[in-house]
Amino acid sequence: MKLAERKVGAYSILEVLESRLGADKAVAFKEAVGRHLSGGTASVVLDLSQVEFIDSSGLGAILSILKRMPKGRELILCGTTDSVMSMFKLTRLDRIFTMKKNVDEALTTLAI
Amino acid sequence: MKAMILAAGKGTRVRPITHVLPKPMIPLVRKPVMEFLVEHLKTHGVRQVMVNTSHLAPVIEDYFRDGDRFGVHMAYSFEGDLVGGQIEGKAIGSAGGMKKIQDFSGFFDETFVVLCGDALIDVDFAEVLRFHQARKSIATLVLRDVPPDDVSKYGVVQTDGSGRIIGFQEKPRREEAISSTINTGIYIFEPEIFHFIPSGMEFDIGGELLPELVRRGQNIFGITLPFTWLDIGSVPDYWEATSMLLRGKVSGFSIPGEEVRPGIYCGINVRIAWDRVQVEGPVYIGSSTSVGDGATIVGPTVIGAGCVIQPGAILRECILADYTRVSSIAVLEQKLIFGSKCIDPSGRYLDIEESRIGWLMDDARKKEELSEDELQLISELNSMTKA
Repeated sequence: MKLAERKVGAYSILEVLESRLGADKAVAFKEAVGRHLSGGTASVVLDLSQVEFIDSSGLGAILSILKRMPKGRELILCGTTDSVMSMFKLTRLDRIFTMKKNVDEALTTLAI
Repeated sequence: MKAMILAAGKGTRVRPITHVLPKPMIPLVRKPVMEFLVEHLKTHGVRQVMVNTSHLAPVIEDYFRDGDRFGVHMAYSFEGDLVGGQIEGKAIGSAGGMKKIQDFSGFFDETFVVLCGDALIDVDFAEVLRFHQARKSIATLVLRDVPPDDVSKYGVVQTDGSGRIIGFQEKPRREEAISSTINTGIYIFEPEIFHFIPSGMEFDIGGELLPELVRRGQNIFGITLPFTWLDIGSVPDYWEATSMLLRGKVSGFSIPGEEVRPGIYCGINVRIAWDRVQVEGPVYIGSSTSVGDGATIVGPTVIGAGCVIQPGAILRECILADYTRVSSIAVLEQKLIFGSKCIDPSGRYLDIEESRIGWLMDDARKKEELSEDELQLISELNSMTKA
Protein backbone atom coordinates (compact mmCIF):
# COMPACT_ATOMS: atom_id res chain seq x y z
CA MET A 1 0.00 0.00 0.00
CA LYS A 2 1.71 3.17 -1.17
CA LEU A 3 0.91 6.37 0.64
CA ALA A 4 2.87 9.63 0.50
CA GLU A 5 2.68 12.10 3.36
CA ARG A 6 3.67 15.72 3.34
CA LYS A 7 2.99 18.58 5.70
CA VAL A 8 1.69 21.94 4.68
CA GLY A 9 1.62 24.20 7.71
CA ALA A 10 -0.42 22.48 10.35
CA TYR A 11 -2.04 20.08 7.92
CA SER A 12 -1.15 16.64 6.79
CA ILE A 13 -1.63 15.68 3.15
CA LEU A 14 -1.86 11.99 2.40
CA GLU A 15 -1.67 11.04 -1.23
CA VAL A 16 -2.82 7.55 -2.17
CA LEU A 17 -0.30 6.28 -4.72
CA GLU A 18 -2.41 3.37 -5.93
CA SER A 19 -4.60 3.31 -9.02
CA ARG A 20 -6.95 0.72 -7.55
CA LEU A 21 -8.43 0.74 -4.07
CA GLY A 22 -10.16 -2.61 -3.93
CA ALA A 23 -10.75 -5.43 -1.46
CA ASP A 24 -7.11 -6.56 -1.63
CA LYS A 25 -5.85 -3.13 -0.54
CA ALA A 26 -8.60 -1.96 1.80
CA VAL A 27 -7.22 -3.33 5.07
CA ALA A 28 -3.64 -2.19 4.38
CA PHE A 29 -4.97 1.20 3.37
CA LYS A 30 -6.98 1.57 6.57
CA GLU A 31 -3.98 0.61 8.68
CA ALA A 32 -1.54 2.85 6.82
CA VAL A 33 -3.79 5.88 7.20
CA GLY A 34 -4.45 4.89 10.81
CA ARG A 35 -0.71 5.02 11.56
CA HIS A 36 -0.47 8.52 10.15
CA LEU A 37 -3.46 9.63 12.18
CA SER A 38 -2.17 8.26 15.46
CA GLY A 39 1.21 9.92 14.94
CA GLY A 40 -0.09 13.44 14.41
CA THR A 41 -2.52 16.00 15.63
CA ALA A 42 -3.34 17.79 12.41
CA SER A 43 -6.36 17.75 10.15
CA VAL A 44 -5.89 15.57 7.11
CA VAL A 45 -6.37 15.98 3.37
CA LEU A 46 -6.70 12.64 1.62
CA ASP A 47 -5.66 13.11 -2.01
CA LEU A 48 -7.33 10.46 -4.20
CA SER A 49 -6.29 11.86 -7.57
CA GLN A 50 -4.26 8.76 -8.48
CA VAL A 51 -7.12 6.37 -7.69
CA GLU A 52 -8.96 5.30 -10.84
CA PHE A 53 -10.98 2.49 -9.32
CA ILE A 54 -12.56 1.98 -5.93
CA ASP A 55 -14.86 -0.80 -4.83
CA SER A 56 -17.21 -1.23 -1.95
CA SER A 57 -14.39 -2.28 0.42
CA GLY A 58 -12.41 0.83 -0.49
CA LEU A 59 -15.41 3.00 0.32
CA GLY A 60 -15.83 1.14 3.62
CA ALA A 61 -12.17 1.80 4.46
CA ILE A 62 -12.47 5.54 3.81
CA LEU A 63 -15.64 5.68 5.88
CA SER A 64 -13.93 3.93 8.80
CA ILE A 65 -11.08 6.45 8.62
CA LEU A 66 -13.62 9.26 8.93
CA LYS A 67 -15.13 7.58 11.97
CA ARG A 68 -11.73 7.26 13.60
CA MET A 69 -10.84 10.92 13.17
CA PRO A 70 -10.32 12.35 16.65
CA LYS A 71 -12.58 15.21 17.68
CA GLY A 72 -11.43 18.58 16.43
CA ARG A 73 -9.53 17.15 13.47
CA GLU A 74 -11.01 17.26 10.03
CA LEU A 75 -10.74 14.88 7.10
CA ILE A 76 -11.13 16.32 3.62
CA LEU A 77 -11.10 14.27 0.45
CA CYS A 78 -9.86 15.73 -2.79
CA GLY A 79 -9.01 14.92 -6.38
CA THR A 80 -11.62 12.20 -6.82
CA THR A 81 -11.62 10.91 -10.40
CA ASP A 82 -14.97 10.54 -12.21
CA SER A 83 -15.35 6.83 -11.51
CA VAL A 84 -14.50 7.23 -7.82
CA MET A 85 -16.86 10.21 -7.52
CA SER A 86 -19.56 8.13 -9.15
CA MET A 87 -19.22 5.51 -6.38
CA PHE A 88 -19.46 8.21 -3.70
CA LYS A 89 -22.62 9.61 -5.26
CA LEU A 90 -24.30 6.23 -5.74
CA THR A 91 -23.87 5.47 -2.05
CA ARG A 92 -24.64 8.99 -0.73
CA LEU A 93 -21.12 9.16 0.72
CA ASP A 94 -20.68 12.47 -1.11
CA ARG A 95 -23.12 13.89 1.45
CA ILE A 96 -21.05 12.68 4.41
CA PHE A 97 -17.59 13.77 3.34
CA THR A 98 -16.21 17.19 2.64
CA MET A 99 -14.93 16.77 -0.90
CA LYS A 100 -12.81 19.26 -2.80
CA LYS A 101 -11.45 19.41 -6.32
CA ASN A 102 -7.77 19.48 -5.39
CA VAL A 103 -5.31 19.85 -2.52
CA ASP A 104 -5.24 23.66 -2.81
CA GLU A 105 -9.01 23.92 -2.44
CA ALA A 106 -8.94 21.49 0.47
CA LEU A 107 -6.26 23.55 2.25
CA THR A 108 -8.23 26.75 1.67
CA THR A 109 -11.27 25.12 3.25
CA LEU A 110 -9.25 24.01 6.25
CA ALA A 111 -7.77 27.46 6.70
CA ILE A 112 -11.17 29.14 6.97
CA MET B 1 -42.41 -3.96 -52.06
CA LYS B 2 -39.82 -6.10 -50.30
CA ALA B 3 -37.42 -4.91 -47.62
CA MET B 4 -34.18 -5.73 -45.94
CA ILE B 5 -33.14 -4.71 -42.45
CA LEU B 6 -29.42 -4.56 -41.77
CA ALA B 7 -28.94 -6.14 -38.36
CA ALA B 8 -25.51 -7.77 -38.47
CA GLY B 9 -23.48 -4.97 -36.89
CA LYS B 10 -21.54 -5.45 -33.69
CA GLY B 11 -22.67 -2.21 -32.09
CA THR B 12 -19.23 -1.32 -30.80
CA ARG B 13 -20.23 2.23 -29.90
CA VAL B 14 -23.19 1.07 -27.82
CA ARG B 15 -21.13 -1.17 -25.58
CA PRO B 16 -21.63 -2.39 -22.96
CA ILE B 17 -25.33 -2.72 -23.88
CA THR B 18 -24.43 -4.65 -27.03
CA HIS B 19 -22.54 -7.30 -25.07
CA VAL B 20 -25.94 -8.90 -24.47
CA LEU B 21 -28.27 -7.27 -26.99
CA PRO B 22 -27.66 -6.65 -30.68
CA LYS B 23 -28.30 -3.03 -31.58
CA PRO B 24 -31.65 -3.58 -33.33
CA MET B 25 -32.99 -5.16 -30.12
CA ILE B 26 -32.15 -2.25 -27.83
CA PRO B 27 -35.49 -1.19 -26.36
CA LEU B 28 -36.81 2.32 -26.79
CA VAL B 29 -39.20 2.56 -23.85
CA ARG B 30 -39.86 -1.20 -23.88
CA LYS B 31 -39.97 -1.88 -27.61
CA PRO B 32 -36.93 -2.97 -29.64
CA VAL B 33 -36.06 -0.34 -32.21
CA MET B 34 -36.33 -2.96 -34.98
CA GLU B 35 -39.96 -3.67 -34.03
CA PHE B 36 -40.80 -0.04 -34.80
CA LEU B 37 -39.14 -0.51 -38.20
CA VAL B 38 -41.04 -3.70 -39.00
CA GLU B 39 -44.34 -2.01 -38.07
CA HIS B 40 -43.46 1.01 -40.16
CA LEU B 41 -42.56 -1.12 -43.17
CA LYS B 42 -45.85 -2.97 -42.82
CA THR B 43 -47.88 0.25 -42.83
CA HIS B 44 -46.16 1.07 -46.14
CA GLY B 45 -47.28 -2.16 -47.73
CA VAL B 46 -44.10 -4.19 -47.28
CA ARG B 47 -44.97 -7.85 -46.79
CA GLN B 48 -41.61 -9.63 -47.01
CA VAL B 49 -38.65 -8.64 -44.86
CA MET B 50 -35.19 -10.19 -45.00
CA VAL B 51 -32.85 -9.57 -42.08
CA ASN B 52 -29.13 -10.28 -42.08
CA THR B 53 -27.98 -11.35 -38.63
CA SER B 54 -24.60 -12.12 -37.12
CA HIS B 55 -23.62 -10.85 -33.68
CA LEU B 56 -26.13 -12.32 -31.16
CA ALA B 57 -28.30 -13.49 -34.07
CA PRO B 58 -30.63 -15.70 -31.97
CA VAL B 59 -31.82 -12.71 -29.92
CA ILE B 60 -33.27 -11.17 -33.10
CA GLU B 61 -34.43 -14.43 -34.69
CA ASP B 62 -36.15 -15.72 -31.53
CA TYR B 63 -38.03 -12.46 -31.10
CA PHE B 64 -39.34 -11.91 -34.63
CA ARG B 65 -39.43 -15.56 -35.74
CA ASP B 66 -41.33 -15.79 -39.04
CA GLY B 67 -42.90 -12.36 -38.60
CA ASP B 68 -46.42 -13.71 -38.23
CA ARG B 69 -47.01 -11.78 -35.01
CA PHE B 70 -46.15 -8.57 -36.87
CA GLY B 71 -48.23 -9.31 -39.94
CA VAL B 72 -45.29 -9.72 -42.32
CA HIS B 73 -43.12 -12.57 -43.57
CA MET B 74 -39.67 -12.43 -42.07
CA ALA B 75 -36.56 -14.51 -42.71
CA TYR B 76 -32.89 -14.33 -41.83
CA SER B 77 -29.58 -14.59 -43.56
CA PHE B 78 -27.06 -15.59 -40.91
CA GLU B 79 -23.48 -14.45 -41.35
CA GLY B 80 -21.08 -16.54 -39.28
CA ASP B 81 -20.47 -20.03 -37.96
CA LEU B 82 -21.52 -22.22 -35.09
CA VAL B 83 -18.29 -23.27 -33.41
CA GLY B 84 -18.36 -25.60 -30.43
CA GLY B 85 -21.97 -24.71 -29.72
CA GLN B 86 -21.18 -20.99 -29.78
CA ILE B 87 -22.25 -18.58 -32.49
CA GLU B 88 -19.37 -16.73 -34.04
CA GLY B 89 -20.49 -13.74 -36.06
CA LYS B 90 -18.67 -13.03 -39.31
CA ALA B 91 -20.46 -10.08 -40.88
CA ILE B 92 -19.78 -9.45 -44.57
CA GLY B 93 -20.79 -5.81 -44.84
CA SER B 94 -24.16 -4.32 -45.71
CA ALA B 95 -23.85 -4.79 -49.49
CA GLY B 96 -22.17 -8.19 -49.01
CA GLY B 97 -25.15 -9.24 -46.88
CA MET B 98 -27.62 -8.26 -49.61
CA LYS B 99 -25.56 -10.02 -52.27
CA LYS B 100 -25.46 -13.22 -50.23
CA ILE B 101 -29.27 -13.29 -50.16
CA GLN B 102 -29.50 -12.51 -53.87
CA ASP B 103 -27.02 -15.25 -54.76
CA PHE B 104 -28.98 -17.68 -52.58
CA SER B 105 -32.47 -17.23 -54.06
CA GLY B 106 -32.73 -14.10 -56.18
CA PHE B 107 -35.05 -12.73 -53.47
CA PHE B 108 -34.75 -9.11 -54.61
CA ASP B 109 -36.71 -9.31 -57.86
CA GLU B 110 -38.39 -5.89 -57.63
CA THR B 111 -37.81 -2.43 -56.18
CA PHE B 112 -36.86 -2.85 -52.52
CA VAL B 113 -36.18 -0.88 -49.33
CA VAL B 114 -33.05 -1.27 -47.19
CA LEU B 115 -32.87 0.09 -43.64
CA CYS B 116 -30.31 0.08 -40.86
CA GLY B 117 -31.71 -1.74 -37.85
CA ASP B 118 -30.42 0.80 -35.35
CA ALA B 119 -32.43 3.94 -35.96
CA LEU B 120 -36.08 4.72 -35.32
CA ILE B 121 -37.56 6.34 -38.42
CA ASP B 122 -40.93 7.31 -39.84
CA VAL B 123 -39.98 8.09 -43.44
CA ASP B 124 -42.84 8.30 -45.90
CA PHE B 125 -41.71 5.53 -48.24
CA ALA B 126 -44.51 6.32 -50.71
CA GLU B 127 -42.95 9.74 -51.29
CA VAL B 128 -39.43 8.34 -51.58
CA LEU B 129 -40.68 5.72 -54.02
CA ARG B 130 -42.40 8.37 -56.19
CA PHE B 131 -39.14 10.34 -56.31
CA HIS B 132 -37.18 7.17 -57.10
CA GLN B 133 -39.47 6.14 -59.95
CA ALA B 134 -39.81 9.63 -61.46
CA ARG B 135 -36.01 9.82 -61.82
CA LYS B 136 -35.57 6.23 -62.97
CA SER B 137 -33.06 5.91 -60.17
CA ILE B 138 -31.40 2.58 -59.42
CA ALA B 139 -30.44 3.70 -55.93
CA THR B 140 -32.16 6.44 -53.93
CA LEU B 141 -30.81 7.57 -50.59
CA VAL B 142 -32.77 9.36 -47.91
CA LEU B 143 -30.64 12.31 -46.87
CA ARG B 144 -30.62 14.73 -44.01
CA ASP B 145 -28.97 18.05 -43.32
CA VAL B 146 -27.08 18.04 -40.04
CA PRO B 147 -25.17 20.72 -38.14
CA PRO B 148 -21.60 20.97 -39.58
CA ASP B 149 -20.16 19.77 -36.25
CA ASP B 150 -21.91 16.41 -36.67
CA VAL B 151 -20.66 15.46 -40.15
CA SER B 152 -17.69 13.48 -38.84
CA LYS B 153 -20.08 10.80 -37.50
CA TYR B 154 -21.66 10.06 -40.89
CA GLY B 155 -21.28 9.41 -44.59
CA VAL B 156 -21.48 12.82 -46.29
CA VAL B 157 -23.16 13.21 -49.68
CA GLN B 158 -22.93 15.88 -52.37
CA THR B 159 -25.82 16.35 -54.82
CA ASP B 160 -26.47 18.56 -57.84
CA GLY B 161 -29.63 20.66 -58.22
CA SER B 162 -31.76 17.70 -59.37
CA GLY B 163 -30.85 15.50 -56.41
CA ARG B 164 -28.34 13.44 -58.41
CA ILE B 165 -25.51 12.29 -56.18
CA ILE B 166 -22.09 13.38 -57.39
CA GLY B 167 -19.82 12.76 -54.43
CA PHE B 168 -19.34 10.82 -51.20
CA GLN B 169 -17.13 11.12 -48.16
CA GLU B 170 -17.00 8.69 -45.25
CA LYS B 171 -16.90 10.43 -41.86
CA PRO B 172 -14.88 13.47 -42.95
CA ARG B 173 -13.43 16.05 -40.60
CA ARG B 174 -15.64 19.13 -40.33
CA GLU B 175 -13.24 21.35 -42.27
CA GLU B 176 -12.86 18.80 -45.08
CA ALA B 177 -16.55 17.97 -45.54
CA ILE B 178 -17.95 18.61 -49.03
CA SER B 179 -21.39 19.31 -47.57
CA SER B 180 -23.39 18.93 -44.37
CA THR B 181 -25.91 16.57 -46.00
CA ILE B 182 -25.59 13.02 -44.74
CA ASN B 183 -26.69 9.54 -45.69
CA THR B 184 -29.22 8.21 -43.16
CA GLY B 185 -28.80 4.57 -44.19
CA ILE B 186 -32.30 4.38 -45.68
CA TYR B 187 -32.32 3.28 -49.30
CA ILE B 188 -34.56 2.27 -52.17
CA PHE B 189 -32.77 0.04 -54.67
CA GLU B 190 -33.46 -1.63 -57.99
CA PRO B 191 -32.20 -5.20 -58.41
CA GLU B 192 -29.71 -3.89 -61.03
CA ILE B 193 -27.42 -2.74 -58.23
CA PHE B 194 -26.34 -6.36 -57.73
CA HIS B 195 -24.28 -6.06 -60.94
CA PHE B 196 -22.00 -3.79 -58.92
CA ILE B 197 -21.60 -5.96 -55.81
CA PRO B 198 -19.01 -8.75 -55.89
CA SER B 199 -20.08 -12.16 -54.56
CA GLY B 200 -18.52 -13.88 -51.58
CA MET B 201 -16.67 -10.95 -50.11
CA GLU B 202 -17.10 -8.14 -47.63
CA PHE B 203 -18.68 -5.10 -49.26
CA ASP B 204 -20.21 -1.97 -47.77
CA ILE B 205 -23.10 0.09 -49.15
CA GLY B 206 -21.95 3.52 -48.01
CA GLY B 207 -18.22 3.08 -48.38
CA GLU B 208 -18.03 0.94 -51.53
CA LEU B 209 -21.24 0.32 -53.47
CA LEU B 210 -22.51 3.91 -53.65
CA PRO B 211 -19.17 5.46 -54.69
CA GLU B 212 -18.87 2.70 -57.31
CA LEU B 213 -22.33 3.55 -58.71
CA VAL B 214 -21.36 7.22 -58.94
CA ARG B 215 -18.03 6.34 -60.61
CA ARG B 216 -19.85 4.22 -63.18
CA GLY B 217 -22.27 7.07 -63.95
CA GLN B 218 -25.34 5.23 -62.70
CA ASN B 219 -28.59 7.00 -61.85
CA ILE B 220 -28.26 7.50 -58.14
CA PHE B 221 -30.26 10.13 -56.31
CA GLY B 222 -30.79 11.53 -52.85
CA ILE B 223 -33.97 12.97 -51.37
CA THR B 224 -34.21 15.23 -48.35
CA LEU B 225 -37.57 15.19 -46.63
CA PRO B 226 -38.74 15.82 -43.09
CA PHE B 227 -38.99 12.73 -40.89
CA THR B 228 -38.14 11.53 -37.42
CA TRP B 229 -34.74 9.91 -37.22
CA LEU B 230 -33.61 8.69 -33.83
CA ASP B 231 -30.23 7.13 -34.29
CA ILE B 232 -29.13 4.90 -31.44
CA GLY B 233 -25.62 4.45 -32.78
CA SER B 234 -23.98 5.27 -29.44
CA VAL B 235 -24.85 5.35 -25.74
CA PRO B 236 -25.39 9.16 -25.73
CA ASP B 237 -27.66 8.79 -28.79
CA TYR B 238 -29.65 6.08 -27.02
CA TRP B 239 -29.98 8.25 -23.95
CA GLU B 240 -31.23 11.20 -25.98
CA ALA B 241 -33.68 9.05 -27.97
CA THR B 242 -35.28 7.57 -24.85
CA SER B 243 -35.57 10.98 -23.25
CA MET B 244 -37.21 12.45 -26.38
CA LEU B 245 -39.75 9.63 -26.55
CA LEU B 246 -40.69 10.02 -22.88
CA ARG B 247 -40.97 13.79 -23.16
CA GLY B 248 -43.42 13.37 -26.05
CA LYS B 249 -41.09 14.94 -28.61
CA VAL B 250 -41.64 12.21 -31.18
CA SER B 251 -44.95 12.38 -33.01
CA GLY B 252 -46.82 9.13 -33.36
CA PHE B 253 -45.15 7.53 -30.36
CA SER B 254 -47.24 6.77 -27.31
CA ILE B 255 -45.77 5.61 -24.03
CA PRO B 256 -46.93 2.05 -23.28
CA GLY B 257 -48.99 1.07 -20.25
CA GLU B 258 -51.76 3.05 -18.62
CA GLU B 259 -51.40 6.67 -17.56
CA VAL B 260 -52.20 6.31 -13.87
CA ARG B 261 -51.21 9.86 -12.89
CA PRO B 262 -50.39 12.75 -15.22
CA GLY B 263 -47.18 11.79 -17.00
CA ILE B 264 -46.86 8.53 -15.08
CA TYR B 265 -47.41 5.31 -16.98
CA CYS B 266 -47.58 1.83 -15.51
CA GLY B 267 -47.74 -1.74 -16.70
CA ILE B 268 -49.95 -4.17 -14.78
CA ASN B 269 -49.43 -5.78 -11.38
CA VAL B 270 -47.37 -2.88 -10.05
CA ARG B 271 -47.01 -2.60 -6.28
CA ILE B 272 -46.79 1.03 -5.20
CA ALA B 273 -48.48 3.21 -2.57
CA TRP B 274 -48.85 6.49 -4.46
CA ASP B 275 -49.34 8.56 -1.33
CA ARG B 276 -46.07 7.32 0.12
CA VAL B 277 -43.72 7.83 -2.84
CA GLN B 278 -42.59 10.86 -4.78
CA VAL B 279 -42.89 10.40 -8.53
CA GLU B 280 -42.42 13.15 -11.12
CA GLY B 281 -43.12 12.27 -14.75
CA PRO B 282 -42.48 11.44 -17.40
CA VAL B 283 -42.00 8.01 -15.90
CA TYR B 284 -42.81 4.51 -17.09
CA ILE B 285 -42.95 1.75 -14.47
CA GLY B 286 -42.92 -1.79 -15.85
CA SER B 287 -45.28 -4.61 -14.89
CA SER B 288 -44.71 -6.65 -11.72
CA THR B 289 -42.39 -3.99 -10.31
CA SER B 290 -42.54 -2.94 -6.68
CA VAL B 291 -41.68 0.54 -5.45
CA GLY B 292 -41.12 0.85 -1.71
CA ASP B 293 -42.40 3.66 0.49
CA GLY B 294 -40.33 6.81 0.53
CA ALA B 295 -38.76 6.17 -2.87
CA THR B 296 -38.21 9.12 -5.19
CA ILE B 297 -38.49 8.71 -8.96
CA VAL B 298 -37.91 11.66 -11.25
CA GLY B 299 -38.36 11.47 -15.02
CA PRO B 300 -37.61 11.02 -17.73
CA THR B 301 -37.20 7.54 -16.30
CA VAL B 302 -37.99 4.04 -17.53
CA ILE B 303 -38.17 1.24 -14.97
CA GLY B 304 -38.30 -2.23 -16.48
CA ALA B 305 -40.57 -5.12 -15.53
CA GLY B 306 -40.00 -7.15 -12.36
CA CYS B 307 -37.84 -4.45 -10.75
CA VAL B 308 -37.59 -3.90 -7.00
CA ILE B 309 -37.11 -0.31 -5.89
CA GLN B 310 -36.50 -0.53 -2.18
CA PRO B 311 -37.93 2.03 0.27
CA GLY B 312 -36.13 5.36 0.16
CA ALA B 313 -34.16 4.77 -3.03
CA ILE B 314 -33.68 7.80 -5.28
CA LEU B 315 -33.85 7.56 -9.08
CA ARG B 316 -33.43 10.59 -11.33
CA GLU B 317 -33.43 10.26 -15.11
CA CYS B 318 -32.67 6.57 -15.22
CA ILE B 319 -33.28 3.59 -17.47
CA LEU B 320 -33.45 0.30 -15.59
CA ALA B 321 -33.45 -3.03 -17.37
CA ASP B 322 -36.00 -5.67 -16.35
CA TYR B 323 -35.35 -7.29 -12.97
CA THR B 324 -33.19 -4.55 -11.50
CA ARG B 325 -33.08 -4.24 -7.72
CA VAL B 326 -32.17 -0.82 -6.36
CA SER B 327 -31.41 -0.68 -2.64
CA SER B 328 -32.68 1.87 -0.16
CA ILE B 329 -29.36 3.63 0.13
CA ALA B 330 -28.81 4.08 -3.62
CA VAL B 331 -28.97 7.40 -5.41
CA LEU B 332 -29.06 6.84 -9.16
CA GLU B 333 -28.79 10.01 -11.20
CA GLN B 334 -28.64 9.66 -14.97
CA LYS B 335 -27.80 5.98 -14.84
CA LEU B 336 -28.63 3.18 -17.19
CA ILE B 337 -28.60 -0.15 -15.36
CA PHE B 338 -28.18 -2.92 -17.83
CA GLY B 339 -26.46 -6.32 -17.95
CA SER B 340 -24.82 -5.85 -14.50
CA LYS B 341 -23.35 -2.51 -15.56
CA CYS B 342 -24.13 0.94 -14.22
CA ILE B 343 -23.73 3.15 -17.29
CA ASP B 344 -23.45 6.95 -17.60
CA PRO B 345 -25.06 8.81 -20.53
CA SER B 346 -21.51 9.30 -21.86
CA GLY B 347 -21.07 5.53 -22.13
CA ARG B 348 -18.64 5.27 -19.22
CA TYR B 349 -19.65 2.53 -16.82
CA LEU B 350 -19.07 0.71 -13.56
CA ASP B 351 -19.20 -3.07 -13.48
CA ILE B 352 -21.47 -3.94 -10.57
CA GLU B 353 -19.61 -7.15 -9.74
CA GLU B 354 -16.12 -5.72 -10.06
CA SER B 355 -17.07 -2.72 -7.91
CA ARG B 356 -18.74 -5.07 -5.40
CA ILE B 357 -21.86 -2.96 -5.23
CA GLY B 358 -24.37 -5.78 -5.63
CA TRP B 359 -25.77 -4.64 -2.29
CA LEU B 360 -26.60 -1.31 -3.93
CA MET B 361 -28.05 -2.56 -7.20
CA ASP B 362 -28.27 -5.98 -8.76
CA ASP B 363 -30.48 -8.46 -10.54
CA ALA B 364 -33.67 -8.67 -8.49
CA ARG B 365 -33.84 -12.43 -9.05
CA LYS B 366 -30.54 -12.99 -7.27
CA LYS B 367 -30.81 -13.91 -3.63
CA GLU B 368 -29.65 -10.94 -1.60
CA GLU B 369 -26.72 -12.34 0.38
CA LEU B 370 -24.91 -9.63 2.25
CA SER B 371 -21.51 -10.12 3.85
CA GLU B 372 -20.72 -8.84 7.36
CA ASP B 373 -18.75 -5.94 5.85
CA GLU B 374 -21.60 -4.99 3.55
CA LEU B 375 -24.16 -5.12 6.33
CA GLN B 376 -21.95 -2.91 8.45
CA LEU B 377 -21.40 -0.45 5.61
CA ILE B 378 -25.13 -0.26 4.93
CA SER B 379 -25.96 0.34 8.55
CA GLU B 380 -23.29 3.04 8.81
CA LEU B 381 -24.49 4.71 5.62
CA ASN B 382 -28.06 4.57 6.88
CA SER B 383 -27.24 6.13 10.21
CA MET B 384 -24.89 8.77 8.78
CA THR B 385 -26.92 9.89 5.78
CA LYS B 386 -30.12 10.08 7.74
CA ALA B 387 -28.53 11.83 10.71
